[in-house]
Amino acid sequence: MRLLIIEDDPLLQRSLAANLREENYAVDTADDGESGLFKASNSDYDCIVLDGMLPVFDGWEVLRRLRPLKSTPVLMLTARDAVPDRVRGLDAGADDYLTKPFDSDELLARIRALIRRSSGQASSLLEIDGITIDTASRTVSQDGKEISLTAREYALVEYLALHRSQVVSRSELYEHLFDEDDDTLSNLLDVHVSNIRKKLGPEFITTRRGHGYSVE
Amino acid sequence: MNLLFHSVRWRLQLWHALILLGVITALCMLAYRLAVEDRRERIDRELEAFERAFMRSFWEVQSRKNKEDKIPSTGELRQRFRSLENAQDFPLEMRDLFDPEAKDSTYLAFWDGNGQTLFRSANAPASLGCPKLSSSDGDRKVGTRGIYRELIQGGPRGFRSMVGRDISSDRMALARLGWQITGSGALFWLLGLLGGWWLAGRAIQPIEAISQTASRIAGGKLSERIDIAGTDNELTRLSQVLNETFDRLAAGIERQRDFTADASHELRTPLTVILSETSRGLKRERTAEEYQEVISNCSHAATRMRSLVESLLLLARQDDSPELRREVVDLSSVASDSIQLLQPLADQHGIRVIADLESARCSADPNALSIVAGNLISNAISHQPDGGEVRIRVFSEERQVVLEVADHGPGISAEHLPRLFDRFYRIDPARGSASGHSGLGLAIVRAIVENHQGGVAVESAPGEGATFRVSLPGMA
Repeated sequence: MRLLIIEDDPLLQRSLAANLREENYAVDTADDGESGLFKASNSDYDCIVLDGMLPVFDGWEVLRRLRPLKSTPVLMLTARDAVPDRVRGLDAGADDYLTKPFDSDELLARIRALIRRSSGQASSLLEIDGITIDTASRTVSQDGKEISLTAREYALVEYLALHRSQVVSRSELYEHLFDEDDDTLSNLLDVHVSNIRKKLGPEFITTRRGHGYSVE
Repeated sequence: MNLLFHSVRWRLQLWHALILLGVITALCMLAYRLAVEDRRERIDRELEAFERAFMRSFWEVQSRKNKEDKIPSTGELRQRFRSLENAQDFPLEMRDLFDPEAKDSTYLAFWDGNGQTLFRSANAPASLGCPKLSSSDGDRKVGTRGIYRELIQGGPRGFRSMVGRDISSDRMALARLGWQITGSGALFWLLGLLGGWWLAGRAIQPIEAISQTASRIAGGKLSERIDIAGTDNELTRLSQVLNETFDRLAAGIERQRDFTADASHELRTPLTVILSETSRGLKRERTAEEYQEVISNCSHAATRMRSLVESLLLLARQDDSPELRREVVDLSSVASDSIQLLQPLADQHGIRVIADLESARCSADPNALSIVAGNLISNAISHQPDGGEVRIRVFSEERQVVLEVADHGPGISAEHLPRLFDRFYRIDPARGSASGHSGLGLAIVRAIVENHQGGVAVESAPGEGATFRVSLPGMA
């Protein structure tokens, strides 16, 4: 899952990014409205964390300009908890908001919920052919037995499971699993897929030659 | 009861009742008095007329009996009066004189100079005696004796006549009139009270409306105002004054609310950093370097919060205690101290600080003044592009001491100038806390300078830098 954080305060931006990277998200950052909008409209993020008060133009303006182009879920951070500010954010196209100061566990849970919702899943448990994916605790189990996956492997499984019955292209997978600073080798994806097949069985991920991968 | 008299309406009503009662009582008493006078005069006239008519009849009867026409002597007169027994000689209205039963009709009596009774009508009361007159001739006296009204007249040779009447029936009539007057007076008073109550109610109604609006405003509906109707009277003007006061209060509360919101907004971001960093640090075991990074981030955030809290406290102290600790201060030495403190910052950016300081003494709080100088100079340094210069001047001018700080930075456009000294006002709303600026520096400068009865002004145009000028009352 790849996230974008648009926050002008360098300390908070660093802290949020560190927190999210430790949860195995690929994280991009932007520190003003303009660069944030540029990144948000040129890549497919799974979720955007957007601060209200930003240089160049503020968070509400970013939303106003982004919404005609992308429907990426947006979680807004507001420092003022005045109702009009929150209403303005939601009306401008934000999907959720958090008032500073917030608990980072709550932030993580809200991001998970937004990603789940945007791919049409209501529950945090996904069941596919006896394989259960718990997106809250980030674990995968088969027939009640927990299967140990690396962070990247888990991210790949989760992304494919959330986009079940869709063919997901390799470039899409690259975009969502690695952030802009990652220099990845092009065959790294194949290595992850083959490792997952060893752990979950060869039928779990289907390869569509020339198109990508899918989970049925 | 006590509460009743605290109400304006009741108090108005009470005064109204008292005044009305006084006026009506006075009028009633006057009317009664006039009626009594009138009645008495009428009785007196009647008595006089009666006597005259009696005398005329008497002489007519006498002249019929004695044909001679000369003034009779006392003895003859007595003789003649004694002979008055025949009521038939007199007109009808005088016949009661000879009827001992006719107690309530007019009676008559005559006496000679020695007090001997000449004539006494049969209906005269038994208590009737010879009256005394001070001088004998032509004297006339009207008096009331018990229930009788009597007219006593002196005549020639000490003769005295008395004509009188029982006036108890007149008195009863007057008493009846008195009750009637009292009754109608009371009725008028009650009507007046009702009218007064209604009037007081009408007069108080707008006040009632004003107080209701005011209490709604006090209850938190700050946008409400007193409805000012078209008419222009004292209450309308009062309402206008109140509305203006409410406007000012509401604006003050609004400013205070904004200030609190801004202050908490400024504190929220570093607080979020601390929360986020500590929860990240606690989530799992880390290397010493990672822990150091977490702690260092928390420390940065806490430092920022401290400087903001200090600024807020400073500002609050300026608001709370306009009483200053004053001593004689040389503004130039305050400025040179601040320059010395900030020199490293200027050096870091390669900025030259050019100081032109004349001795300028004023009475002020030296710590507060060094905050003013420090804020202005550090602002100038941070807005000045690297490698330029910042000019600082201190001089005296027309009984004022002036501190001028000028930079050649990007300048400030005209739309921002009026609000530049407002709390948390930033030209770029997002530029700020991150770069260590709380948005309170200039607000603190203004608060301090105004507490010193001074003024602060700024001159700037985009691209031409900015010049801040603080002037304080100087010392001779």
